[in-house]
Amino acid sequence: MKANGNPMVVERYSGLDRMIHIIHAAAMLTLIITGLKIYFGWDFMSFHTARALHMFAVPFLLVVNWFLIPVSIVLAAKGGILPRFMHFWDHYIFGPKDAARMAGIIGNFFGKGKYPAFSIYDEASGHYKTKLHPLMKILIVIEGLAIVVIAITGIVLYSLNWSFLGLPIASWILSIGGLFAPAFGLSSLEFLRIIHLLMTYWFVFELVVHVGILEFDPHVWKYYKAIFWSGKEDLTDTHYAEVVKTKNH
Amino acid sequence: MNNLVQTLDSVDFLKMDRRTFMKAVGLIGAATFLGSFKSQIVDALEFAETKLVWLHGAECTGCSESVLNAGNPDIVQALQKLNVNLVFHETICAEQGIWNDGKLVNTADLNSEILLEETYKAGNYILVVEGSIPNGPDGSGRYLVIGNKTFKETLGEAAKNAVAIIAVGACATWGGITNAASDIEKDTDYRGVAFKKADPTKGMLKELGIDKPVINIPGCPAHPDWVLLTLGAVILGKIKVPEDLPAVLDQYNRPKVFFSPDHVVHDNCPRRGYYDRGELDDQIGGPGCLWKLGCKGPYAHADCGIRRWNGSVSLCPQAGGPCIACVEPNFPDASMPLYVETEDKGILLGADIGTVAKVAVGAAAVAAGVHAVRRMKGE
Repeated sequence: MKANGNPMVVERYSGLDRMIHIIHAAAMLTLIITGLKIYFGWDFMSFHTARALHMFAVPFLLVVNWFLIPVSIVLAAKGGILPRFMHFWDHYIFGPKDAARMAGIIGNFFGKGKYPAFSIYDEASGHYKTKLHPLMKILIVIEGLAIVVIAITGIVLYSLNWSFLGLPIASWILSIGGLFAPAFGLSSLEFLRIIHLLMTYWFVFELVVHVGILEFDPHVWKYYKAIFWSGKEDLTDTHYAEVVKTKNH
Repeated sequence: MNNLVQTLDSVDFLKMDRRTFMKAVGLIGAATFLGSFKSQIVDALEFAETKLVWLHGAECTGCSESVLNAGNPDIVQALQKLNVNLVFHETICAEQGIWNDGKLVNTADLNSEILLEETYKAGNYILVVEGSIPNGPDGSGRYLVIGNKTFKETLGEAAKNAVAIIAVGACATWGGITNAASDIEKDTDYRGVAFKKADPTKGMLKELGIDKPVINIPGCPAHPDWVLLTLGAVILGKIKVPEDLPAVLDQYNRPKVFFSPDHVVHDNCPRRGYYDRGELDDQIGGPGCLWKLGCKGPYAHADCGIRRWNGSVSLCPQAGGPCIACVEPNFPDASMPLYVETEDKGILLGADIGTVAKVAVGAAAVAAGVHAVRRMKGE
């Protein structure tokens, strides 16, 4: 994982990781902007252009999230199923150590203690033990679920009669929506459209948190450069990064 | 439209299959249909006379008025052309019930109660129900009693031997306004014939243990074309009850030809162009799209935009009134408040999702700002 011949400069994001993030970001921004244009009727673009762009961005977002990201996770670790699963678990799932870091971050926000490192590199194995901000680990799971929900509800908004291989998918979704909608005094279609809008707002919220809270810090800008361009992290910069050496390696 | 009519003129209407028939009537409307196929419909008079019983439950008679307002043909012309014997209709027949010491007296000619009893006994009639049926209090149905008989009992008697049952209007289909959410909703317990709101297990026929298919023609009121064309299709055998119903009705028993599962009022609204251009009115009286004024056109499955009302000249949004989705199963609850955008309803502990989103994003932005300042200071 070392790069540039400098033992302290390591690969933080692979080329695939960077491509995924760029496509994801572009598709998500396109969907949010065109979706809100359609909803609010903003006049900076025609309805038909907004709708066309919206539908154009959908497959990119779905392919990235439902195919490339799983592939990236599987390829990032070596060995059998268990090591790959553990890699996924350590890197993306909020665990006890993340909770401790999160407590430290909250404490720091209110003026108590240091901002804990969340990017932990294991010098012995030559791999990161974890690298995501603990809050990002929470957001990323919710985002994954939100993408599923917004895709499903989006099918109905796209076409009330959408089917796949002869299966009346849109009709099924409307039927399922009809199980919950009356509890809110809504019809199924109203319910699904509101959920679609709610998920859009969630992505706006996530964007503000992701960019504003996690990244709006000069010391974190090194990660911008890494995710969009170089893919590398210089571990001599110890802001938020820590190098450890596990004994079993 | 003229070309279509000319094309169809050369077609033997009575030999059309059901699918073609439904497409034709869906496209050309009742007036044109009955006008264009007059001679063939006269042929249809060779069919046996069809008896029609039209019962009124808890309602405003708006659906009857709507049908009475049908212009060409009017109700009398339509009944004559379709060879219908309107046995009973509370509003337009001179019905009367005569009791003496609690017993019905006289004959069917003078006593409508006897006429109805004889009709029920003879069977072979089409039953149209307008208005909801109260099940309360406590399942007795006594919130609507006519001639010391609950309407619930009347419906049971009438439905038993009917060859086809058609529920007309939002009240008869789902309970409608009588079944709107209120403090007395559970006590009165108004039901539609086959549904209560969107629930098919709580229709009044189910409550009475009667397992018969029902055609729902919702709306507040129902469009005269929807009623007359459905009746015509049933009478002429173009819709065979019950064999054809799964193919021609949607999941809420509405004829798909009028209440397309694939389309909503918004699709063919005359104001649709304004929506596409993002011209969304925020005050009543403007020319633009009425969505932000609470128009429920995007949620209402009906062909109002094509068929139009009042002699095919207008429809609610065209006349400046936002659509209230009166054809949908949860009407009016799902449409309330009528003039508030659905997305602005307070469904999250009284707050609408727009407000929740603004608060959440605003709080996140403030936190981001504080966080950024602190990080830049290196704290």
